[in-house]
Amino acid sequence: MTAITGQKDEKRGQTARRRNTLMPSRLTIALFLLPAFLLYTIFMIYPLVQALIFSTFEFNGLVRGAFVGLQNFEQLFTRYPISEQLPRAFVHNVYFFIGTMLIQNTLGLLFAVLLHRPRFGKRFFRVVFTLPYLISPLVVGYLWSLMLNPLFGPVNATLRNLGLGSLARPWLGDPATALPVVILVNAWMWVGFPMLLFGAGLAGIEDDLREAARIDGASNWQIFRWIEFPLLTPVIGIVTVLTFIGNFNAFGIVWALGGVDGTPAGATDVLGLVFFRTAFRGGADAFGLASALAVLMFLFIFTVSVLVQTWFRRLESRMQ
Amino acid sequence: MQKKTRFTAVALLAIMLLVIMGSVVAQGDVTITVWSWRTEDEDAYNEIFAVYEAANPGVNVEFVPFVNTDYNNILATGLTGEGGPDVVQLRAYGSLQPLIEAGQLLPLDDLSTLENFTPAILKGSQGIQDGHIYGVPFGVQALGAFYNVGMFEELGVSEPETWEDFIAILDAAAAAGYIPLANPAKDSWMLPILHDAVAAPRYGGPEFEAAVLAGETNFNDPNYVASIAVLQDLQPYLPPDVVGVAYNDARTLFITGLSPIFIGGSFEIGFWQSEAPDMEVGMFMVPPPPDSLAGSFVPSWMDGSYGVNALTDSPEASLALVEWMGTQEFGQLFTDKIHQISPAAGVVSSDPLLAEFAAGMTENPASYLLLVNFRYGDPSGTTVLGNELQRMFLGEVTPEEVAAALQTGMEQWFVPANAE
Amino acid sequence: MRALKIPKFTFTGIGTNGLLIVYAAVVLIPMFIVVTNTMRPTREIYREPIGLPSTINFDSYVTAWGEANFSLYFMNSMVITVSSVTLATAAASLAGYILGRYDFRGSRFFSSFFVAGLTLPFRLAIVPLFLLLNSLGLIDNRIGLILVYAATGIPFSVFILSAFFRQLPQELSEAARIDGANEFVIFSRVMLPLVRPALATVAIFQFVPLWNDFFFPLILLRSTDKWTLPVGMTRFFGEFQTDWSTLFAGLVITTLPLVVLFLSATEQIISGLTAGVRK
Repeated sequence: MTAITGQKDEKRGQTARRRNTLMPSRLTIALFLLPAFLLYTIFMIYPLVQALIFSTFEFNGLVRGAFVGLQNFEQLFTRYPISEQLPRAFVHNVYFFIGTMLIQNTLGLLFAVLLHRPRFGKRFFRVVFTLPYLISPLVVGYLWSLMLNPLFGPVNATLRNLGLGSLARPWLGDPATALPVVILVNAWMWVGFPMLLFGAGLAGIEDDLREAARIDGASNWQIFRWIEFPLLTPVIGIVTVLTFIGNFNAFGIVWALGGVDGTPAGATDVLGLVFFRTAFRGGADAFGLASALAVLMFLFIFTVSVLVQTWFRRLESRMQ
Repeated sequence: MQKKTRFTAVALLAIMLLVIMGSVVAQGDVTITVWSWRTEDEDAYNEIFAVYEAANPGVNVEFVPFVNTDYNNILATGLTGEGGPDVVQLRAYGSLQPLIEAGQLLPLDDLSTLENFTPAILKGSQGIQDGHIYGVPFGVQALGAFYNVGMFEELGVSEPETWEDFIAILDAAAAAGYIPLANPAKDSWMLPILHDAVAAPRYGGPEFEAAVLAGETNFNDPNYVASIAVLQDLQPYLPPDVVGVAYNDARTLFITGLSPIFIGGSFEIGFWQSEAPDMEVGMFMVPPPPDSLAGSFVPSWMDGSYGVNALTDSPEASLALVEWMGTQEFGQLFTDKIHQISPAAGVVSSDPLLAEFAAGMTENPASYLLLVNFRYGDPSGTTVLGNELQRMFLGEVTPEEVAAALQTGMEQWFVPANAE
Repeated sequence: MRALKIPKFTFTGIGTNGLLIVYAAVVLIPMFIVVTNTMRPTREIYREPIGLPSTINFDSYVTAWGEANFSLYFMNSMVITVSSVTLATAAASLAGYILGRYDFRGSRFFSSFFVAGLTLPFRLAIVPLFLLLNSLGLIDNRIGLILVYAATGIPFSVFILSAFFRQLPQELSEAARIDGANEFVIFSRVMLPLVRPALATVAIFQFVPLWNDFFFPLILLRSTDKWTLPVGMTRFFGEFQTDWSTLFAGLVITTLPLVVLFLSATEQIISGLTAGVRK
């Protein structure tokens, strides 16, 4: 294997990246950044920052009252029941992230690798696996509630017909299975995303590397483990960060499966739902409270994403 | 909102208004846009407003329904800027207060047709701070038990008079292989409905309501706890894995004859009629559970009202329309076409089932306690009780703990009248 | 094309094919149920949530098409979504290129600045956003919605594209620069074609949520003649009663263009796969 890795290093050395050649002028840099910057700042950041500033004000409906400092933040941790829902939802988000990384992204990587190699019907599989993403989360939620329905659902019926009736359960009505089911359905919907990104990453790996390894007698698994996987590090980084952000903001599919309160008994409650309930179902002072929650979520998600990103960057540069 | 932006918006709006009004005057016609969350009533409302348009030449009413779940957002922004609606359908009681406090609605106290409504009904569209009325009520909902008449005959039972009768019916249904009670628990909003429809007599209904509002008792009251325990006793009669059973599943159980009884609100009647037109449906009040403090009730609440956008460009025409929506004529059209109870004086429900609910709520009145009184703050009473009852059905908490959680939740914002 | 090994018949071959086929079934069976439900009357769906249609009929499609004014909404959806995605992808590939290729002063800041947008629940900003568009006169204006949609696509696209641009070998741009090409030419002629699979992925993953969104149009558009397909669909969701049959038919109609789009996008991805980085 050392021969291969050695060769790889040499290859990467030749293709040493960016920040060594001519830096474009400041004007050029500014011109490249300007369209995205303007669009994004005016129509997204400006309203968002305004909304975040609301977190330090008292609200009565949509009418802004006095400046209250950190009182809204304090309320989040002292007012029942949000004070109890918040930590519970946070823990669920952590499970959600870990579960998604293990199931959805591993499966996505597996499919990407399998479908990158020449194979009959690979285009068909690629399209089919991405199909669920094209449907609105509302429908996905309805569909799987139906499939897993304890009274009429085909999943339990099939289990009973196979003599596995003891496995039949109210999947979305049992606190023990509800969150895992949400994670699986979410993965069902999203698996095409890591699959396509990993596919695009695999396409960027020069075939010479694989050929050379094959000539050295490396098996498919060895090629994947020692060549493709390390070179996919940047894509793994992207997928990890986006999964993290997506899971901690998850809302649509969880709402469609467990309702706005995260049934059963809060077993599927996540931060996105707590936020939604606070902002749009709360009392008259909801606006300030929801903004405070958004600020906290932002600080947490943003800090962790930057840390994860930095860590992956370091990993990448160590591999060069 | 920021004052400057708001000022600009208002100034801009004023200019727009002038332009629009100019064109309106030129045409001699006025279009009133009505926003609503009732997508399923679009045809019915178009027919109802056609009656108004015929009587008021030059007035054009456009009914625009939006998806129920996002209506509050749409309304909040719609009332903020230009191009918004003139007349809006409003939620009742606590859910209405943010719009009132933001000054987005016109007070309607001077409308003559408000006389057609009782003070209890008008409470649903009243500002809790200023006491003004901001909406003309359109509907009332009431709670009770629906039953499948054919199945009752097959089981050889009739409407129960006593709790023993009721339990005997449930046992008979179970013995015949049916699910005795079709009610769901996955949609937690159905649980406080079940609780009030079954157990209001146990805690005492209006007397308890007065006491709890005055601060003489609270939800930890042993009688309130016992009323929650009544639901626990009924759990064997509910569908298996009830926390996995959704609202629509439960309705399916009822209309397909798998279940003889569905306990719910009068808003279901339209559904029974359209999805199970051949099924004969009856209604009864659940008899008082043992040790009840009162007889049976038909708990009810004001469902919502129609108000006027403070920024409307045709306030007079809008007020005239809303005033008409308080008449007996509108009420009768409403109940005939939409199959719900109208609170306007003199309206008679043509549908026998609906008439039974309407009569029940007049003869045995009670408020749907948590919706009417405990939605003015966060968390709302119905939300806390719904979630906690779900936990009770899962065996996670006892009735005492359910009541205690409800009390803790309400203490976050509710101040009893007698408190210092 | 380089000769690639023809896969041999092996047990792992059977295993992987088996896995792919089983998973394809897990995807397709639920979809099949949705499609069959479009051919059953709503009353039947309420009575028996899952089942084969007693008769095949396409009434629900006719209703959905007619009642929801689908031909008009379809055009609106197309114009709005295509413009938004094009705008966002164009702007994001410029920014992603410069951030991915060069380590200038402030590049870390800008990268983080763009990522920040991903981590915030944008629904929170609906009221300030509404007031902003109101003051710009962009309420009930398709351009307003397009600008908002494009802005929401920026962070995601910049994030992915900058990572893919960073991966490309340096000598390609050096060769072009020696030939006297300026930065924009290097970007558009040399680098952009190389990230085509990523571009297609970014475009499709922006396209789908915008195509399915009904929240922003409901709030930002007023006139019914500017509505999009999903807004039309919300008409079928009732408070207590939902017309499932028509709703499903509408959803099938709404999803079909996405399938077509996706097929052509995979075309891009696959041609990207064969083009790859091979010089």
